[in-house]
This record gives sequence, structure tokens and C-alpha cells, in this order.
Amino acid sequence: MSSKKTENPLLAQLQNGRLSRRQFLINTIAAGLAVGGMKVLAPVSGLGGIAYAQEERPLTPTFYEWIISIHPLIKDEVDAKFPGGVNSQIAPVEGFDVARFVAEAKMGQSTWDVYVGMTPFVEMAGLVKAGVIEPWDPYIPKEVLDDMIPSIREECTVDGKLYSWPFLIDVIVQAWNNSITSKAGIEDKPPANWEEYLANAKQVVDSGAAPYGCTFDAHGWRSLAPITHSISTDCYYLLEGDPSGVPLYDFTSEPALQALEIMKRMLELSSANALQPGTTDGGVNLTPDEVAFGAQRVAYYVKYQNAPLRYARKWPDPSALRLAALPSGGEGATVFWTTGACLFKYGKNKEKAAEYMKALTYNMAIWKDSISGIPSGHQPGQLPPFQSIWDQMKAENPDWLQANPWAFLVLDQLKVAKAIPNHKYGLQQFIIGQPYWEKYFLGEEPDPKKAMQEAKDAVVAEMKKVGDL
Amino acid sequence: MASTAISSGVTYRSARLLWLRDSINWLYVLPALFFFCMYMLYPIIEVVVISFTDYKYLSDEPMRFIGLTNFINALQDPLVHLGLWRALYFTLIFLPGVIFIPLFVAILLDRVSNPSLASLYRVILLIPAVIPGPMIFVLWRWMYDFEVGPINTVLVNYLHLFTYRNAPQWLGNSPLTIPSIAFVEWWWGLGYHTMFFLAGLAAIPRELFEAARVDGANEWQMFWNVTLPRLRPIFVILVVLRFGTAMAVIDEYIIMGGFNRALPTYTWTVYMWHLAFNIGSWFQGYAAAIGWIGAAAMLIVVGFLFYVFRNRD
Repeated sequence: MSSKKTENPLLAQLQNGRLSRRQFLINTIAAGLAVGGMKVLAPVSGLGGIAYAQEERPLTPTFYEWIISIHPLIKDEVDAKFPGGVNSQIAPVEGFDVARFVAEAKMGQSTWDVYVGMTPFVEMAGLVKAGVIEPWDPYIPKEVLDDMIPSIREECTVDGKLYSWPFLIDVIVQAWNNSITSKAGIEDKPPANWEEYLANAKQVVDSGAAPYGCTFDAHGWRSLAPITHSISTDCYYLLEGDPSGVPLYDFTSEPALQALEIMKRMLELSSANALQPGTTDGGVNLTPDEVAFGAQRVAYYVKYQNAPLRYARKWPDPSALRLAALPSGGEGATVFWTTGACLFKYGKNKEKAAEYMKALTYNMAIWKDSISGIPSGHQPGQLPPFQSIWDQMKAENPDWLQANPWAFLVLDQLKVAKAIPNHKYGLQQFIIGQPYWEKYFLGEEPDPKKAMQEAKDAVVAEMKKVGDL
Repeated sequence: MASTAISSGVTYRSARLLWLRDSINWLYVLPALFFFCMYMLYPIIEVVVISFTDYKYLSDEPMRFIGLTNFINALQDPLVHLGLWRALYFTLIFLPGVIFIPLFVAILLDRVSNPSLASLYRVILLIPAVIPGPMIFVLWRWMYDFEVGPINTVLVNYLHLFTYRNAPQWLGNSPLTIPSIAFVEWWWGLGYHTMFFLAGLAAIPRELFEAARVDGANEWQMFWNVTLPRLRPIFVILVVLRFGTAMAVIDEYIIMGGFNRALPTYTWTVYMWHLAFNIGSWFQGYAAAIGWIGAAAMLIVVGFLFYVFRNRD
């Protein structure tokens, strides 16, 4: 037996024969469970009140992880300089799951003061209904409120109150890889309409310049909805008996049917796996279209602007990236959404939260980094939601902005873009409807109207099934 | 008399000491009991209760008792039927692989006479088992990627067995999806399940094999008549355990398939989660009823399995 002194008294007793193996096991388990148990039990039972100490605490914002990942300057430029200190944390919201926030609100508590990562048409209606968040109106300076781009302010408002402080903007655009399109003999200019778009994509494939001519993200809010908007924004309807009073996407509207046809023709020029789900966040992110565009296997791409910007950075020649508004066969609009911050009803430091959000959203270093990126490959590609920031950038016209003309191109789109209405089923209507419109893509349903009617009916049936209608 | 009095006193004192010692033993069990009650029993009771109500997590309306309505609706819900069938389909593909492949590997490993080499093989087999589940699935999600995954890269660019147009779609809405996920599970659990069989093989007395050889039995006859019957308890444990876990898979499906209802990965567990935490007001009463129906279906099959594997001696 080893004569080496052991730090574990139980082990020493075992080794010296004063403890049987059974007794050693029992005592060890008991000791281990007791220590581990108390540590785990404290926040559950509120014994230590560690997680919920709220009387005095620094401002405690929580971020969706991807925001901190692609905007590292938040820590250095905002948190580090905020008076009184900030205790920023990563939110437990993988897969857009806000169950933790709701659970805490039901107990009248909140570990955090503000959540940065809310997308209005995804979670906002649910969080408002569940009493988790409250309006910013008592705390947000009037000049900030008036400074919001009108369509963004409308997107963030429910019943006349602002529930989301907008931070990042995503606008669906078209992008293309000029190194591929020039190889295919296509002029370096955006297709004017969808017919030209599809003809160019076919030319790419026929010329062998790339395996695929075009691609899109199969999730409806990233493809079907914006392509519909580019034809007409008259594609929503009020469901009879729906107490929310917020319109739903009308799958059977004429613009929606036209969009479906366009997508079917795009699919014929896309990769075989274009309809597959992504790798993360319940299949929503790291989608096949991103892989194909990043691998330079496709020429044209429909997605929110920061996706092609991020993936083009992986190319040997990132300057081959081109961005433009969606081909405008009709009203020339598109879909946008913001990622913003919501104020927890049971959080603390509400005035400070408003000061923090102002510091965050008006920080020019973050916008410079976001728009121009850095040569090593980082370019978030998100845009500010406030008119004064744009006015300032226009007036100063710095070199980094001149090198990124896509920023104003996207801003121009924003003036005519329309957000998806903030219905509780704003996102889920597309998830529920997707299998039905894809039947048309896959040839399982030859009639597009029937496929879209089934999608529409499926959403209504789901609402009835879960008692929301 | 005195000796009786003394022995009674000693007996009484021993009994008290015994009782005291047993009571103290309960103190050691209390933390585990607390965990069990808080994290297992209480949630089960809670789910039973809400399955009989119209409880919606995001709603501030008080929940109402609605009897068996949720269960009746769930039994008539085509998505529940489809989800259960999809889970069963996966289980039927998964179970044979998780039994027979580790059995084969265990038999091979059992014949390695060099102890160091045997230990090395065991360590190699157990490497996947120590990798966390979500990392495994994300890794294989990349392996199976249609465009840049190494499997298709080899098949298309090196072996030229396929083109980029007709290369296999290992995931998504493809017949290969469920077998692909089953393969990942076989690979992940190979070491762990092999250890089960190795333990079982070690418990078989060597004399039985020697006697069989003396009687002229060949390797196949020894395997069929000696090894397999002796491994029956291991089979029972693995089949029942793995049936339950296979039917209840959810992480893999959400990572590999998301929430598209057309995909074979949208099973009853994903549907239940989708209803409980994503859709509308989060109708958890209904989701709970679906959970109980799934659990009941599994219990019926487990009962049947116990009957099939019953001791016939």
C-alpha cells in the first residue's frame, strides 16, 4: 500500500483498513451529494438567493450569443466605459427559446435587466402577452424615439408603445459573386427583375461558371415573404376570430403565388439540398445556402445582407461580392427586421438600461466595425436604426463608408421595406406552412394554389388546436 | 434469570443501536431522495396534473381542468400518429445495430490475449462515449453536409461515384436520414455497449466452452448454444433500455432536422417540444398529454419485450 500521504481522509481510512469499501462508497456519495446538492439547491429554492439578488446590482444586460460573437467591440467600447459598470451575460436562449425569461417573470423576478436579441416578429408578441417585458416609453429619451427610422419604429411598437429598442437591422437583399458571373459572361449590374435574375442564374449553370445559379434560405421569412414583398406588400390578411387584430401572411394571395413560382424556378438552379435545415438553432442557422455561397459554388443569393458579407470574407477575393436590392418587378419592397432590446418588467436599473442602450446603439465604433469590418475577415454587416447616425455618416463620408456603398443601398431599401407583422405566429406561420408549399417544389402537389391553401389552412388549424383562436 | 435479563438488555440495546444506525443511514440517502423528488417525481406529478388542463405557459389566464380532452385530441392528432411511427421506424433500425454490432466487437475483443492490446482497444472504443452529445451531432452534421462534408467530398471528388447533382443527401427530407442518424448513434455508443457484452462474456464459465469442445461443438454451435443464452440478461437490459432511449430521442432530431414537419426527424418528442415551447401560447397541457401517450405506448412495448425475454426455465 502506498505510504504517500493522501489529502482525502476517507481514502486514507480505506487504505489503512479502518473503513470498509462499502462504507467508503456510502460516505463519499453522501459527502459529494451534500456539497453538490447545496450548491445546486440554493438557486432553485432561493435559499442563497444568489441568482435573484436584486436589491443592489450593477446593470445586468443579457445578450443572444451571436451578437457578442460578431460585435466584440460591445465589451470594449460600451461595457468597459459605461459609468457604474455593467455585468453583461450571455442569454440562455439557444434556438430562440425564451422559456427562462417567462419562468422568472411568473415568479415576479428577473436575473437580468434587459435582453438584447429580441426580434419583434419572433418573440415580442409572446413576451408582451406573458407580461415578461414592459415598454421603453417612460425611459427612452424623446430625441431617440423621434430619431428612429419610421418603419423601424412601427415594427417595434405594440398598441402605441415601444417594446423593442432597435439595435441591429437585417434587410433581405440580393447578392452575387462577380467572379462567377463575369466568368459566365454576365454584365456586372443587378438584375432588374426576377426574369432577368433567373435568366442570369441559368446562364451561370449553362456556362459551367459554377454548379448552381442561385440559392435562397428555405425558411419562409427569409425567402417566400421578401420575394412576395418585392412583388407587392398586399399579402396579409386579418383572420376572422383572431383576437390579436394583427394580420397573418396570406399564402393564397396573388403576390405569394407569384413568389412561389419564382422560388420553384430558383430551386431548379440551386443545389439539391437547398431545402434542408441548417446546423444550429433548431435548423435555422448555418443553412445550406450559406455553405454554398461561402464555398463559391453559387452565383446569386437572396438573404439578409450580413450573410453574404460574412461568407464572402472567406473567398480568396472578397471584393467580388456585390449587393443590391431585390429585383423589383413590382413595388420594389423587401422584408426587414430588427434585433433589439427588451426591458424586463421585473428587472432593475431601468433608467440605466435606457442609458446603456443609447450608448450601445449610438456607438460609432461599433457601426464602423459592423459596416467596414477588418481585413482579417470579420464583417458583421449590420446597420444602425437611427436617422441621425446615417446623417452623420453621410456628412462625414469617411473612407471606410465609401468603400462599402452597399450600406446606403440597403438603407434605401429600408425606406420602402415592410416588416412581417408582430403576430404571435409571425415566425411559426412560416414553419407550419413550409411542408405544404414545399410539396409544390418537390412535385408532390402540382397545383400551387392548392399547396398554398393547405399551408394557410394548416396555420389556422394549428391556432385552433392550441386554443389561440 | 440474570442471564436472561442481561441478554434482554443487550438485545434491547443492540436493537436500539441498530435502529439508530439505520436512521443515520437515511441521512445519507436524503440528498439523493431530495433530488429524486425534486427533479423526477415532482415534474412527473406536475405533468400529470397539467395534462388534464388547458394550461398555456404564455397565458395569464388561470388553468382549467378539462378532463380527458387533451388525450382525446392527441389520440386523434395525425401528427402524433406520424410522430410515433417515425420514432418507431428509427427504433427498429437502431436497435439491431446497437445490439449485434457491439456483440460482434465484444466477441472479437474477448479473444485478444494480449492484455495491453485489449486495454488499448477498449480505450479506443470508449473515446466517442466521452464526447458530449450535442458535439457529436454537430460533428456528424458536418460529416453529412451535402456540399462540404467529407463523406460527399470523398464520394464525389475522389471516388467519382456521384456528381454534385446526385450525391447522397444524408439528412433532410431523404430516405437516408434515419439510417444516417442511427449510424451516428451506433458509433457513439459502440464502446459503451461493447463493455456491457464484455462483462457478460467474462461471466460465462470457461468450462462450458471446454466441455462443448470436448463434445465436438464448432465455434458457431458454441456461440449459439452457450454464449447467446448466457448473455440473455444483457440482451434484456440493452434492448429495454435502448428501446426507451430510441423512442425518446429529441436532441439529435432538433439538431439534424429542426422543426420542419415534413422531415422524418419530426417525431412525437419534437412535436411535443415544439408545442410546449415554440408555438402560440405554448399549450403545455396538450403537450403533456402527448408525452403521456408516447410514454404509454412505450410502456406497452416494454411489457411485451419483458414477456418475450422472460426466463423460461
